[in-house]
Amino acid sequence: MALLEIRDLEKRFDGRSGHDAHWVIRGLSFTVKEGEFLTLIGPSGAGKTTLLNLIAQIDGASGGQVRFQSEIAPIGDPKALRPGLSCRIGYVTQEDNLLPWRTALENVLFPLEVQGRLDAEGRARADMLMRAAGLAGFEHHYPHELSGGMRKRAALIRTLVYDPPVILMDEPFGALDAQTRTQLQEDLLRLWNLGRKTILFVTHDIAEAIALGDRALVLSRAPTTIAGEHAITLPRPRDIRGIMTHPDFAALYQRIRAQLQ
Amino acid sequence: MTTQDSALDLAAAPLARPYRVALGRLGLALMLLIGWKVGADVAGPLYVADPLKVLWRIIADTPSGVLPRHVYVTLRLSVLGFAVGCFFGVALPFLLRRVPRFSDAIEPYIMASVGIPKYALVPLFILWFGIDDAPKLLLVGLLVFYPVFIAVFAGIRNVDRRLIDMARVVGASETRIAREVIWNSLMPFFFAALKIALPRAVSAAIIGEFLVGNEGLGFLIENSRQNFDTVGVFTGIVVATALVLLINAIVVAIDRRLNAWRPADREMEP
Amino acid sequence: MNGSAPQEVSGRPPSGRLVATLRARADQITVLLVLVVAWQVLSVAFGTYWIGSPVGVLTRVMAGIASGDLLRHAGITLSEAVAGFLIGAVPAATLPFALRRYPVVSAILDPFMVGGYGAPKLALAPLFILWFGIGIASKIALVAITVFFIVYFSAQAGVRALDIKLVQMAQVVGANERHLARHIIFPGAVPYIFTGFRIALPYAIGGAVIAELISSNRGLGYLIQLGAMNFDTTGVFVALVATTCIVFLGNWSVNALERRLLRWRPPSDVRMQAGS
Repeated sequence: MALLEIRDLEKRFDGRSGHDAHWVIRGLSFTVKEGEFLTLIGPSGAGKTTLLNLIAQIDGASGGQVRFQSEIAPIGDPKALRPGLSCRIGYVTQEDNLLPWRTALENVLFPLEVQGRLDAEGRARADMLMRAAGLAGFEHHYPHELSGGMRKRAALIRTLVYDPPVILMDEPFGALDAQTRTQLQEDLLRLWNLGRKTILFVTHDIAEAIALGDRALVLSRAPTTIAGEHAITLPRPRDIRGIMTHPDFAALYQRIRAQLQ
Repeated sequence: MTTQDSALDLAAAPLARPYRVALGRLGLALMLLIGWKVGADVAGPLYVADPLKVLWRIIADTPSGVLPRHVYVTLRLSVLGFAVGCFFGVALPFLLRRVPRFSDAIEPYIMASVGIPKYALVPLFILWFGIDDAPKLLLVGLLVFYPVFIAVFAGIRNVDRRLIDMARVVGASETRIAREVIWNSLMPFFFAALKIALPRAVSAAIIGEFLVGNEGLGFLIENSRQNFDTVGVFTGIVVATALVLLINAIVVAIDRRLNAWRPADREMEP
Repeated sequence: MNGSAPQEVSGRPPSGRLVATLRARADQITVLLVLVVAWQVLSVAFGTYWIGSPVGVLTRVMAGIASGDLLRHAGITLSEAVAGFLIGAVPAATLPFALRRYPVVSAILDPFMVGGYGAPKLALAPLFILWFGIGIASKIALVAITVFFIVYFSAQAGVRALDIKLVQMAQVVGANERHLARHIIFPGAVPYIFTGFRIALPYAIGGAVIAELISSNRGLGYLIQLGAMNFDTTGVFVALVATTCIVFLGNWSVNALERRLLRWRPPSDVRMQAGS
């Protein structure tokens, strides 16, 4: 059952003098099934962040439709945008965007506070997620006192804490070193397993896309559209560290890489 | 087209409709003037001078030379004090640079002396140096000295050490180093301080004139007050404000021309 | 700007640096002693009419504290500065937040605010004395108007320095306008507001003292004028010392408050902002 449906999504940026407009996204369509971990791979400049911004309703689209569970999101009208679609679409951005003046725990509790759900159950959930993400003991640390990896984890569980049905993730592990990235990928899958949310994960790293996803969509260069779709049949639970040695990995990798050219 | 527009729209909207803003400013200015007139009628001539009477006083006293004389006196005081303060503010850090041990030893006391309100020293200066221009000159000089000194001092400190070392290696003398490397490096700091110091000098001259002397805009304001000549008080304030704002504008214009390549920023000192 | 830039410390071994620091401290104490001795010498040479001696000043300060007189006058100046500061700073800090959603109003006001900021507010002292008399009201008014413009621009800078990504993040998790103002915009602007406080502080105290110098019958400015008119330089010095103490007290308070409220700031930001 399709949870999220994107139809003929379009985004055009007007140039400075008005006649310099270029299409960033054009004719983009795909669906996302409930409980699916969908990865989107694209080269730099493929408007990946723009795409997620459109779905999350942070930016308005120039055309097309975004349907959430058969409800049509008002993405055409900038005044009617509802970022996060009333907290049903979560968004883990590239920068962690933690509030510097809140401690780690306070940051994680922020969505609950804002949604009026800061009760005992919410707090318990936050505590559980802090422990699961390995941040136990750092609750009262400020973001500048945490390492890059820890901040990423905090940003991640900040979205998980209020349990949105769909979570968008924009290259969340891009700026980290390989060790930390692998660790975080394992953490992510482990946390994902707790609730099997629907995840839309954008990355430029083919290996990461294969390691994490149930299905991978390849994005073309601007004007971006879907260049290809690949089912990932590797068994779960995934072994991130050893994924490359799996027999099906190499062929899949080659197919995807060919499409990216 | 983003939610930024509805959530923030700071810069976009006003620029898109400059006429609205210009009209609004004109309207506000008019309202303030009308408010002034109404205030004068309501509060009475003792408390609020009638704007028309103020205008008339300015017009009457200008050709007679009375008002220009006050302006001249204040300006002369400001410029002299500014020159003195600037001179010491620039010279001292360069001298101190030559004696680093001494410089480090006295630095905390110089920084502590920043905390002494200079205006509070004026009665003492009057006591020591009489009722002529000396105490006022000293006040203006001090108020100019401190920002310039601190800026130049910090500027010298922050000069890239490697440039100095390089200059030494190729055989430059200490004076040459001071002139070429250090002076150029601290130019921006110095000009930033000047921007602050010049209007400050005029302000300080006016306030000094509150306390001593028989000429100048400050004298005009305070003396009028003591004589219950409210029109005089307002005249002095209007002229003083116009003078300082004019000097501010000139300084900003010069700065913009000299430093066209720098992003303009607002000075945080009245 | 205090403290040496890293370039200044060359590659000395740690023990060498410790010796250098100790030597600098000793130098500073030496300078202090020299200053005090010179002061005493000058006082003797010119006579205590012209220059109150350090001993005399110290004695008078202690007497003034014991009798409560000095504290009373200091308290008056301090309360003028504090009251004026609050009356000026509170609206100045809140106005930019209120105007955030109305950029046209903000743009209309801007030149008037710039004019108010550039105009010499202290020149209004006689006017306020005319209006409010020689009591504390005129001093409070002067301080308030001086502080207002300074804090207004700092707060405005803080509101404008908003990080849009944080706003977007908050909106995605469901924040409304009220939440944004309270949790995103205000905390982000606080460091800027504190910079404004720090800049405004000397003007607050200076303004109170100036107004007292012109016309007053209480306060430290009054004591300074009184001492000067009576050729009592010791009295003047005492009042000056008290005034300087208030300035230091004010600085210390603002810094202490800032340290508490802004514990979350990364050290690099603190260094950048402290330079103002």
